[in-house]
Amino acid sequence: MKKSPFVMLAILLSVAMARVVLAAEPIRIGWVGPLSAPGAYAGGQEMKWAAELAADEINRAGGVLGRPLELVYEDTRGMPEQGTAAMERLITGKKVVAVFGEFHSSVGLAEIEVAHKYGIPFIASEVWADDITARQYPEVFRVAPANSMIYDIVAAWVVAAGFKNVAIMQETTDWGVGAVKVLTQKFDQHGVKYSVTTVELTQQDFTAQILRFMNQKPRPDLFMNMLAGEGSYRITRQSCELGFTPTPQTALYSGGSPSLYPEFWENVGECGVYLMAELVGLPKALWNDKTRAFIEAFKQRFNRTPSAVGMEAYDSLYLLVEAIRKTGTTDPKALIQALETLRWTGTRGEYWFSTQREPAWAYHQFLDAPVVVIQYDRVNQGTDEARILWPRRWATTEALYLKVKK
Amino acid sequence: MEYLLLQAMNGLVVGMIYALAAAGLTVIFSILKIVNFAHGELYMMGAYTAYYAIRLLHLPPALAVLVAMAAMFGLGVLYERLFLTPLYTGAVERKDEYALIVTFGLALLLQNLAIVAFGPFSRRPPSFLPGAWHWGLLTLTYDRLIAVAMAAGFLLALVAFLRYTAWGHALDAVSQSRESAAIVGINPHRLYTLAFGVGAALAGAAGALIAPIFSISPTMGVLPAVKSFIIVVLGGMGSVAGSILGGLLIGVGEGLGVGLFPDPGRALAYSNAFGVLILAMTLLIRPTGLLGREHVRME
Repeated sequence: MKKSPFVMLAILLSVAMARVVLAAEPIRIGWVGPLSAPGAYAGGQEMKWAAELAADEINRAGGVLGRPLELVYEDTRGMPEQGTAAMERLITGKKVVAVFGEFHSSVGLAEIEVAHKYGIPFIASEVWADDITARQYPEVFRVAPANSMIYDIVAAWVVAAGFKNVAIMQETTDWGVGAVKVLTQKFDQHGVKYSVTTVELTQQDFTAQILRFMNQKPRPDLFMNMLAGEGSYRITRQSCELGFTPTPQTALYSGGSPSLYPEFWENVGECGVYLMAELVGLPKALWNDKTRAFIEAFKQRFNRTPSAVGMEAYDSLYLLVEAIRKTGTTDPKALIQALETLRWTGTRGEYWFSTQREPAWAYHQFLDAPVVVIQYDRVNQGTDEARILWPRRWATTEALYLKVKK
Repeated sequence: MEYLLLQAMNGLVVGMIYALAAAGLTVIFSILKIVNFAHGELYMMGAYTAYYAIRLLHLPPALAVLVAMAAMFGLGVLYERLFLTPLYTGAVERKDEYALIVTFGLALLLQNLAIVAFGPFSRRPPSFLPGAWHWGLLTLTYDRLIAVAMAAGFLLALVAFLRYTAWGHALDAVSQSRESAAIVGINPHRLYTLAFGVGAALAGAAGALIAPIFSISPTMGVLPAVKSFIIVVLGGMGSVAGSILGGLLIGVGEGLGVGLFPDPGRALAYSNAFGVLILAMTLLIRPTGLLGREHVRME
């Protein structure tokens, strides 16, 4: 079959253009997060996979400004000093134009200092401590909700659900301490009694403290397990095996993200039924095409259902790329200005960053970040199938929480 | 009172597992005169071996513990043959430093290999037996009861092996003097290999027994390794009986410490400190540990 000269020309031009894109200097963007101990590397791994997925999609679609996108990964191991070193390497060594990611608030707080020093835009993907945005650095934006946003909502639900006496186990991190501070301030305002126990992340056996809670008079009616690492699974199971939670007398709440991962069920089994937790992703009823496409693509590539942690990383990269496209440059100042006015719909709704300075944490914060309180009512349930308890506008059950019958 | 009894019982269970891991470290130390910094990672590998033996080979959990022990024995033997022989062939001058670096290197290698091979996500093998035993306020899961029974069985077997078999007597001889043992026809090299294998098998058994109780992850061995070091020093370096006693003492001490600490909000955060406190107090009174004897360095 004879091809027309025009078709041949078009093919040649396409090949030449593709070669130009491939040959062009890549735009480098840095990713930071924990990929090894002592960090919460499970969360870091999901973020990294999601970032890889986004970068591949962007490059398949022709890259950015006619140049390929190159992600440079740095393992921060959950250690602030590693975060600082990683940021220095990315900015001064790899010459990245922007950085995103991070899972640990304490590490994120170290990283934003470096971003601020060099004036490089930084999107905090999964760090919740208020201070991340409360320092009001022009370079720092956040797609995850701030502790104050999440635990205001959670505390309002605790009060509305009628809990009177709450036992809290908190990890000694910026996230854990910050989250419990927000909760207890609200509890004080509403006359909810509470007792707080501090635990180290390395703790393995929580039996002794759970027994103390069980022997408290009056016995707590809600136990809030505020550990973001794998210790959360051990608390859930040990508390269940001892007959503390979930029981008709005491309900169980889990803060952070561990109860949202697929392996939660392998680790806790039936002890996870009736557990309540916060979800920082969209409720299923509000999923958009991007949410559905991301979940499908992630499952297909990594054989695992992603949580909101992955969505945050995925959207963070797209936001940076959109800012580059919008300005037509990789100049950091231009990118920061673009991010301040950008509106872009991702897997977790339409993103925009606030420029209000009161409260302090609201600066450069995605204020519409979704936060819902969910409850599992059967084993191996996905977060998208769990009951939504709060806020009431999205609730999928009439009750404020499902009580254990026996 | 029941509450404190419960704390003590719980501490006893955890202490028995610590004792098992620490006994392995002691066997290695007493014969090879090196501190195995990869002990926690052998504990972790034992847990993963049991997990995959159950998931892939559909073995009963108790049998999977034996498979984990055998696998860790093999890994220990292989590692000792490949990397530790320079310690006693004169190939290295600074033996202590070499041992530290090579076992520390194994720890890092195994931990990072585990993240790549097994994934970063926590896993949990099925229970030995689901459910719990209740007696008044006292509640102990069957997993804990079975783990403590099996750990006690392994420790008894270890003591019997060391005390009543020719291999055990030979190990004791080498632990006291390699050259004297060689004069009476004992091949010390073979016994170093055996000791490292037995120590690794005990670490693997402890990891496999704790797996259904605490879940498993690539970094699960870090804290037990630290506890094992504390127990070995507390019990007296080189004393298997001291390790058992030390493990139980640390377990019960931590349980009661949390139960009695006046500030309930901080009690659990200090639980590891109670063990160190017991160690410090013991060393003030008995600098060689509970049942320790003065040890010698590698000849």
